Amino acid sequence: MMAWLEATALATWTRQSPSIWAYPTILTLHTVGLGIVVGANAVIDFRLLGFAPRISLPSLSPLFRMILWAFLLNAATGVVLFMSDATAKSRQPVFYVKLTLIALALWNTNLVRRGIQRDGPIGAPLNSPRYRRLAAVSLVLWAAAITAGRLMAYL
Amino acid sequence: MDTFVEWLRATPLSQAIVYRIWIWPLCETLHFIGLALVIGVAGFFDLRLMGFFKQVPIDDARELMPLAVGGFLVNLTTGIIFVIGHPEQYAHNPAWWWKFGFLCVAGLNALIFQFTVGRQTVGLRAGTDTSMAVKSIGVVSLISWFAVLYFGRMLPFLGSAF
Repeated sequence: MMAWLEATALATWTRQSPSIWAYPTILTLHTVGLGIVVGANAVIDFRLLGFAPRISLPSLSPLFRMILWAFLLNAATGVVLFMSDATAKSRQPVFYVKLTLIALALWNTNLVRRGIQRDGPIGAPLNSPRYRRLAAVSLVLWAAAITAGRLMAYL
Repeated sequence: MDTFVEWLRATPLSQAIVYRIWIWPLCETLHFIGLALVIGVAGFFDLRLMGFFKQVPIDDARELMPLAVGGFLVNLTTGIIFVIGHPEQYAHNPAWWWKFGFLCVAGLNALIFQFTVGRQTVGLRAGTDTSMAVKSIGVVSLISWFAVLYFGRMLPFLGSAF
């Protein structure tokens, strides 16, 4: 299965093409997506933790759409990067750690999104410990996902 | 330049960075976390300058900026550690010089904002649009930070850094 993935035309091109548009650009897009997903999350999380308290949280909701698009970019580029080196990557435990952390972080982000949608117009509930906890967990999970991703190059 | 690279490479500090195998991955991880803070927080502020997120008063958006500065300082520190550790892979690397150039553009642009049109944005209420000059500052800032990211990621491909 992994060998077959690696042998597909897309995987072979990504791995072997000397073109700047192959591996280097796909990897760069993956980093751009990371910056937007984690950065936009950080804006919302730090706001929930008490930074810039006068910003109304519902006014930040377009950030969730940006997070979604950037995540889709990273899912797509991530699949291609994985395919290009499937055998080795599928044997790396830290890769599965990374996927798990991303799944948990996304679930957490969605809880925040739905919470702001529901409680945003009322406002007050968003200052509760529940949301501060969600925000802190979000920052930790996304930072851990970055760490696991970086460590894939070393472990 | 090469004399400087060789001197730097021979310093105990450079050797210490290279021979402790955990330092490089740790600094890279911090560099990526800092990157996300800069792109996310400064990018959000840039978008506000450009006229997006109009319901957010600019003064309130500005209160988030210390987080971007914090992320930048993390990346400046870890970046200096990379350069001290392996100066030879950056000194003649075109991607590094492009990255450095765009860092200067971003910095200069921020100074221009601070000392000229920035004043226009103080006290600007929710729902108010920004002037063309302020929008341009936002565009230049957003483009230069993404260019910094781009050339940073391209260090191994346009040059030969790892």
